[in-house]
Amino acid sequence: MAGAPTAPVNAAPPEDVAEVRFDAALEAEIGRILSRYPTTQAALLPVLWCCQERWGWISPGITRAVARRLGLSPASVEGVLTFYTMYHREPPGRYALQVCTTLSCQLCGAADLAGHLQRRLGIGFGETTADGRFTLIDVQCLGACGEGPVIQINNDYYTALTAQRLDELLDRLE
Amino acid sequence: MEPILLRARGTKDSRSIAAYRAAGGYRAIAKALAMEPSAVIAEVRSAGLRGRGGAGFPTGVKWGFVPKDSPKAKYLICNADESEPGTFKDREIIHVDPHMVIEGIVIASHAIGANAAYIYIRGEFHAEALMLQAAIDEAAAAGMIGHDILGSGFSLEVHVHRGAGAYICGEETALIESIEGKRGLPRLKPPFPAVVGLFGCPTVVNNVETLACVPHIIERGAAWFAAIGTERSKGPKLFSVSGHVNRPGVYELPMGTPFREIIYEVCGGIRGGRALKAFIPGGSSCPVLPADKVDVGSDFESVAAAGSMLGSGGLIVMDDTVDMVWALDNILTFYAHESCGQCTPCREGSDWALDVVRRIRRGFGRPEDIETLERIARYASQGMTICPFGDAFSEPIKSFLKHFGHEFSAAIATARPLPDPKTPVLPLHSGSGWHGNY
Amino acid sequence: MLTLTIDGSEVQVADGTNLVEAAAKIGIEIPTYCYHPGLSIVGQCRICFVEVEGMPRLVTACSTEARDGMVVLTASQRVKDARAAVMEFLLENHPLDCPICDQAGECYLQDYSIAHGLDTTHMVDERRTFPGLERRLIGPHVVQNQNRCIHCTRCIRFTQEISETHDLTMKSRGNHSYIDTFDGGPFDNPWSACAADVCPVGALTVKEFRFRARVWHLEDTDSICPGCSIGCNVTVGHLKREVHRFLPRHNPAVNGWWMCDYGRGLAQGIEEREVTRPAVRSDGALRPVAWSEALPHLVELLRAAPAARIVASANLSNEALYLVRKVLVDRLGLQVVVPVDPGSPRKVKDGRRRWVASVDAHANSTGARLLGLRLVDATELRRFVGGGDGPLVILDERAHPWLASYEARSAMAARTIAVSARHQTVLTRTAALLLPAASWVETEGTYTSSTGRVQLARAAFAPGAMAWPAWRLLHGMAVAFGAASGPDTRPERLFAEIAATVPAFAGMTYRALAAEPGLPVAVEVPDVG
Repeated sequence: MAGAPTAPVNAAPPEDVAEVRFDAALEAEIGRILSRYPTTQAALLPVLWCCQERWGWISPGITRAVARRLGLSPASVEGVLTFYTMYHREPPGRYALQVCTTLSCQLCGAADLAGHLQRRLGIGFGETTADGRFTLIDVQCLGACGEGPVIQINNDYYTALTAQRLDELLDRLE
Repeated sequence: MEPILLRARGTKDSRSIAAYRAAGGYRAIAKALAMEPSAVIAEVRSAGLRGRGGAGFPTGVKWGFVPKDSPKAKYLICNADESEPGTFKDREIIHVDPHMVIEGIVIASHAIGANAAYIYIRGEFHAEALMLQAAIDEAAAAGMIGHDILGSGFSLEVHVHRGAGAYICGEETALIESIEGKRGLPRLKPPFPAVVGLFGCPTVVNNVETLACVPHIIERGAAWFAAIGTERSKGPKLFSVSGHVNRPGVYELPMGTPFREIIYEVCGGIRGGRALKAFIPGGSSCPVLPADKVDVGSDFESVAAAGSMLGSGGLIVMDDTVDMVWALDNILTFYAHESCGQCTPCREGSDWALDVVRRIRRGFGRPEDIETLERIARYASQGMTICPFGDAFSEPIKSFLKHFGHEFSAAIATARPLPDPKTPVLPLHSGSGWHGNY
Repeated sequence: MLTLTIDGSEVQVADGTNLVEAAAKIGIEIPTYCYHPGLSIVGQCRICFVEVEGMPRLVTACSTEARDGMVVLTASQRVKDARAAVMEFLLENHPLDCPICDQAGECYLQDYSIAHGLDTTHMVDERRTFPGLERRLIGPHVVQNQNRCIHCTRCIRFTQEISETHDLTMKSRGNHSYIDTFDGGPFDNPWSACAADVCPVGALTVKEFRFRARVWHLEDTDSICPGCSIGCNVTVGHLKREVHRFLPRHNPAVNGWWMCDYGRGLAQGIEEREVTRPAVRSDGALRPVAWSEALPHLVELLRAAPAARIVASANLSNEALYLVRKVLVDRLGLQVVVPVDPGSPRKVKDGRRRWVASVDAHANSTGARLLGLRLVDATELRRFVGGGDGPLVILDERAHPWLASYEARSAMAARTIAVSARHQTVLTRTAALLLPAASWVETEGTYTSSTGRVQLARAAFAPGAMAWPAWRLLHGMAVAFGAASGPDTRPERLFAEIAATVPAFAGMTYRALAAEPGLPVAVEVPDVG
């Protein structure tokens, strides 16, 4: 398991990201990103990542701002962003528990783990706990099959999990 | 065999440039940059290196497709999208020895005349992206990347580009679309990326493991490389073994090692002492093989002769507790989730096949369902679709029905008629708010 | 040029021709959905598979270029099986909406399913649906039913490549992908209804036509849009003397496959009228009269002293304007103006994806100019109408928007006015002589677009009530003043006169106009914006 516990994401509430401006730091980052590609459009995925790192999710307001900045239509940015599963389109909880449900992890007990999580948290896949702490998401193969079952929490992989280790882990996440 | 790709396993700070150099790394760069690009390509071709991403296409031949006299910029892309279920070897290489990949990228770029390279890494591999960036920064500081590398006149910039959750972006043209900032939809071929690729320019896309082999070929020679493995499957190979084995993990073995040896000796046999029922040799897109094929050698040609594919070498092992109808449901769930949706047979067929298998699993199967599944698989493969994704979900259907059709028939034989004609299909959720309600 | 063989027949095509077009050249229709000659090629619906000798796999005809010596089979068993399979995939989630779907009768899914599909389906599971996107008005003119969508992406590509508004996109992926606007906002660009045109099924339909008529009941008439000077070609869809819709008609030189929503919307009520019969005002009241009584009244006004002033219209046909020139200007020496209202700027893409811009809000200001009439703007119109003491004859109550204003009415308060009109305006309510005008769709005639083409508009049906088209009214004047050879004529004969006497129209005939998509006239084409 990772050394330091996973850092929480403090997603901006919708009213704060209905309209956004990119501050100097974000603009500087966007500038650096743009310098890596010969086209502006190629910066789209990295810029969306920056925005998600800043605000925790991608709101329509952020989509509009990104579109404006990169000279793309908001509709086409939204089309791109909805193709990829990792961009959150609603504010996630502080910890996104992404549970791998594909074959190898299932062969190692992922279903039981998922059931345990749903019972402990009282939510199903696609839902967030009322206190905003955990969002439960079923994902496809995370590419760590030899250490299954695998759950990715925010950016971090947690492998070879059992119900007990999972409980200990969740207890430490504020 | 001596570890080559994973030689740094167990070494302290193995990801550092110091450790890489101490192990002999970054010698091949100097040698390659002193060679003509065409000589580098020739060496890789005669080494017999085949793509390690799943397709097994001869790497030297692929590099040779780049038009030498094109005035356009050229690009090398390292495919670190690794999303094929059962495959986790590229992650291992990055964890253990990212500089080996960097060195391979530099040499490959020199060979095709690319001055810019992108590493496309799946979004979930956040830690691994940081590892690669750290290696790039170290390599640049040491003059292995950047302007006029080692005074050769060859310049290269290397960038990491993160994906955001889409298996299809492992397909080279979808990957290119994704770097360009679009939905990851595979392109019509021809034209092939070597001629029209990233930003319309000649592009070569190579898997992480493929590129990791390159410095070794240059340093120790094509003949040395070709002596490892079998007649048509040369060089060391990383096998990702998962599922019902006692010691799952990534193992470096010569190709041709029988699966029996991999499963029972290298990986300590089936957990709980149970019996082997089935195994998928190269990631879930490859046809499943029944236990009686366990003596087949793990090389491209032997596995093909046995009716499957070596693919990425992602070996998934299933024991006799596995319900094969359940297993196919799981595999088809993956493909229905990952279909890009562009072309009709895959977009419609992947979901339809999943619906049928789920209905069978729930005990509402019908005798016609077997024929329906076969029909879907037949018309979503072999060129009916824009890319091999159609084949990727069709091959599991065909092979599961071929080797384990009796389990499907049995489930259908004990089925009841649907009480309500509407069989609910599980909604697909990934990411907060993704898919809406659909 | 190169030669290839399709289904045993040789055909010669230009380099770069795809197999769909090559086959069409010899009358073989290869089914297509995502392919549209005016849009990019994506090869994703997979219905257009054909067999090519020497190629192990079937290829998509739209994305395969013809090569010299190619041998193509469009109806081999392999091709038939593949097509039937793709049809089954397309229909597998498609709702059986035909009885309530506007597209029925002009639906590619229906047509190709009958021609190439199976009689049945193997699908017994629940179809996937898109709750909330099933009968959704996504913009002022377009209704969406996402359940029907076959994901051909024509609509999206239309907004990228033609309207260049980039306002439609595909969201999500796989079998759950759906068409939508940004954040579900309105799909509102000047050509939005064209997205419904290109949709091969009923996933996008035009709101104004919804549930109005079955397309196989409609009669179709070739016409031109009256909305501006561009002259987009249209097909008038009508039934029992009611116009139900305009559809753009393909013309590579003028409007490609497209038309704007404003022009398309003019179809609504285009045949309606409030003025149904000639009427003469005496003692303050309007008395209905027969044409035999109305015409002499008009003759009197034209003979009056002080001399009558004529407001003609840039909405009138070449035939009508020719008679204006011949009778009112040349024969009677009267002052005639043709008011021009610039209107809102409009544009449309031609068949080569170049923008074509309007110069004004009229279908025939160019015709008026070529026929030697005097074009005036609003200021000059005011001055014209305010000047002199004689009667005013207004040949179209919509010749200029200003004419419907109270200001115009005050300016003409003391004058005797004759108006040819379809609707009541302040003008018609004070006219001394009111004449019922035929509508655009009841008038046969030619119009000269600002793009430099003379185009023929057929009449969809004969004028209703007692309405007369302007050319007939003016011919009546021509006869009264001895400038015509006989009491009867037809627009075609009038046009022959124009072709014989006006150099810009030399050599043109109705027959040629019907065969060609309009004929070019030597006129300066305005610079596009």
